[in-house]
Amino acid sequence: MSAVLTVDGLGVAFAGFKAVDGVSLIIEEGELRVLLGANGAGKTTLMDLISGKTKSTQGRVHLRDTDITNWEEPAIARAGIGRKFQIPSVFRELTVRRNLEVAGCGKPGVFANLRFGLPRAARRRLDEVLDLIGLADEAQTVAGTLSHGQTQWLELGLLVMQDPKLLLLDEPTAGMTAAETLRTADIIKSLRGTHTIIVVEHDMAFVREIAQRITVMHLGQVLAEGDMASIEADPRVRAAYLGSKGIH
Amino acid sequence: MPGKRTLDYAAYAVFIALILCAPLVLEEFWLNRIAKFLVYGLLGVAIALSWGYAGILNLGQGLFFGLGAYMMAMSLKLASPTSLQQGSATPVPDFMLWNAEPGAKTDLCCINHGSFLWTPFQNPWFGIGMAVLAPVLVATVIGWVMFRKRISGVFVSIIMLALVLLVRLVVIDAQPLTNGFNGLTDLGNLTVLGVELDPYEVVTYYVVAGTLALALIATRLLVETRAGLILQAIRDDQNRVRYLGFDVPLYQVFFFAVSAGIAGVAGLLYVVVAQFASPTFMDLSFSITMVVWAAVGGRASLLGACIGAIGINIIEAGASETQALVQAWRAVIGLIFVLVVLYLPRGVAGFASDAADAVLSRFGRKRPPAARPASERVAS
Amino acid sequence: MAEVVFIGLSLASVLLLVALGLAITYGAMGVINMAHGEMVMLGAYTTVLTRIYLHLDILAAIPLAFIATALIGYAIERVVVRRLYGRLLDTLLATWGVAILIQQAVRLELGASFFGLHIAGLGPGLQNVAVPPELTGALTLGSVQVNAFRAFIIGVTLLLTLVTWLLMYRTSIGIQVRAIMRNPRMAAACGIDVDRVNALTFAYGSGLAGVAGVMVSGFKTVFPDMGTPMVVDAFLVVVVGGVGSLLGSVFSAGLLGQLNGVTAFLANDIIARAVVFAFVIAVIMTRPRGLFSQKAR
Repeated sequence: MSAVLTVDGLGVAFAGFKAVDGVSLIIEEGELRVLLGANGAGKTTLMDLISGKTKSTQGRVHLRDTDITNWEEPAIARAGIGRKFQIPSVFRELTVRRNLEVAGCGKPGVFANLRFGLPRAARRRLDEVLDLIGLADEAQTVAGTLSHGQTQWLELGLLVMQDPKLLLLDEPTAGMTAAETLRTADIIKSLRGTHTIIVVEHDMAFVREIAQRITVMHLGQVLAEGDMASIEADPRVRAAYLGSKGIH
Repeated sequence: MPGKRTLDYAAYAVFIALILCAPLVLEEFWLNRIAKFLVYGLLGVAIALSWGYAGILNLGQGLFFGLGAYMMAMSLKLASPTSLQQGSATPVPDFMLWNAEPGAKTDLCCINHGSFLWTPFQNPWFGIGMAVLAPVLVATVIGWVMFRKRISGVFVSIIMLALVLLVRLVVIDAQPLTNGFNGLTDLGNLTVLGVELDPYEVVTYYVVAGTLALALIATRLLVETRAGLILQAIRDDQNRVRYLGFDVPLYQVFFFAVSAGIAGVAGLLYVVVAQFASPTFMDLSFSITMVVWAAVGGRASLLGACIGAIGINIIEAGASETQALVQAWRAVIGLIFVLVVLYLPRGVAGFASDAADAVLSRFGRKRPPAARPASERVAS
Repeated sequence: MAEVVFIGLSLASVLLLVALGLAITYGAMGVINMAHGEMVMLGAYTTVLTRIYLHLDILAAIPLAFIATALIGYAIERVVVRRLYGRLLDTLLATWGVAILIQQAVRLELGASFFGLHIAGLGPGLQNVAVPPELTGALTLGSVQVNAFRAFIIGVTLLLTLVTWLLMYRTSIGIQVRAIMRNPRMAAACGIDVDRVNALTFAYGSGLAGVAGVMVSGFKTVFPDMGTPMVVDAFLVVVVGGVGSLLGSVFSAGLLGQLNGVTAFLANDIIARAVVFAFVIAVIMTRPRGLFSQKAR
């Protein structure tokens, strides 16, 4: 196994406040890593740093052997990191199929895209993705009219369409019903092994469902790392969560 | 059972057939007026492209129209037999002569500071080329600065609004070069490839109608490409597109420049048909009026915006028999505009599209819904 | 040089007078009211009509113009603007339609011209307003001679700015307006009658424009199209000052007025306006939030 993502001493300070403070992580090929932590622990900021939304003030990020620290967002995306946002963002006035076609365009430039339709391989991939996210029957639906859960799946589909080396999923089940959460867990489990994924999540039922390895963050730092059982038994984690009812 | 897309293409075909056949029934006087309105239709296409597809409400589209118009008008001024210095082999615009310093050499090179800029316009192809190139270049530069800085929405509108007013003032102030407030009048006919485009001849109408038809088809094809799809995605959610790895500003600049180029061509053709160029082309009210046309026709539809522009102007021409009616018509336009924004935000084209949907779904209901996705999966 | 500064100051005060109302409607309510210029125009016409029908001068026209334009503003908010909150560019387009309607109403003498009737003071022509004798002539301030009417405008502007500031920051309705500015839904949840406050705010902003119109009528010709360039200038003042910042509008009006005055002195009026536009573009390009905006979060 080889490391897909290597984060080394990464940190950022906003007006002196260290939102992320010297975080180091190694994510192996095909791994599904869950990031846990209370509000303000720095999980989303860590994703912002990796995906280029926020520029770091210390540390490095490597994707495989490429140093991508503080690249522009599109460059990082092209290097192979797909980011899903907490508030789902899709192209509301386009149909589901057209949404996925956007993601399947491949080449970044204007002139390379002055042609009609997707290449055959991308079209085949598009149909696979439609099945994967369960929206094959909604292919001609305008995205703005989808339910909240379907919108989340569509955004996930946009990322999968590009077959990135690493998927960053920020609370993929936020605001979902129990049934939708289960369906999301199925989608993510089916990506496990073929894709490398980092998930930020609060929903412990969901985490138990999907997690292999868990990293717990607290006050901008990595507090603990391990499998579900060891995390639940870890006294530091328990201490950090005491008063906020622990993790159940 | 025809699909929605078929109906859409049919609408284009009918419209293009109509404007190409108009000379069969209309006399020259009306052809000239309609040609002007077709030019406005071209502006409608430019607005719909930037507003409907790119999400950029340009309140200064008149800048590009004006640039195109002035570039062409400079060539046509130099081609005018009546408005040049009399009895000399070297053409010099009359207004330059009137304002020349005593003893200045009556030659384009040096009758005043800057008059040398007119020299290349003696070749009409230079005027034509610049009428397209100048708007595209200006749009590329200003777009590059704006979109790189991720300026969007109302701020783009304000910048373009201020810019068109700024350029208007510069044109007015550069009186020795542009004839200031009076603009360029008394122009000659454009002669290209041995054909003289007299504004009251049918051939001129065909040039305008043909250009509009081409522009409609080309723009429609352009937005059907992958780049056009990405552009619409940018309109819906810039950030998401950025995180899919696309260089958002490149797309915005490209389509902004295309829209500017279309407006420049419109300016060029307007001068050929109307035979003047004036700083009023860069008045704020003209730029907003274009937006009104597009909004009424349908901001998200190239054809809708085009027909909106033409339709409103035809009605206005019909009302222009008496002065009071013209003023009343302006009030009606104001009212229509308020009502469209309030109740028909997608314009007449949006209304037509909804109606088509309703009709199609009525007829299409008999098919089992499961048949649709399966057949599509195979076909695409 | 002092005279140039004074001219700049009086330009700035007119700008500010027109911009104050816009600063409130745009800053507080997120409405780009293109009909604001028509409120100025209506204020100016109020002066004309006051003189013709009531035989009263500019001073008497001030409260009348405020009331008339505030009422019209109230009606516009109720009928059009209310349906468009949250759609910034659509408010711009719809109020542009309203602006055309108002212009045509004046030009067509409220429709009377169709029946061959003529209402004195309205119509497409130009109107002029006489400044009362006590406001003509020059004042001597120290070593500088200043035009009395311009000084009067500056005084009125200062007064109205102060009143507006007090309204916004020292009254309960002001607190409600500022609450709506920050978060309309939260404000509604706290029991603020957002509908009513919005309508009143819009009416007040329009009323200020009406007063500005009275002032403008004293030194400019009055005609139906006079509002458009004013709304553009005022709008640019608000944007440069920073949306939502009253103080920002004051500073930016001062800045743009002086820039205009000084450039006009060095070159000419046309170039001066061009330079102002160039400056505004440069500001928006570099600081889209405006020069004096509150730090947004």
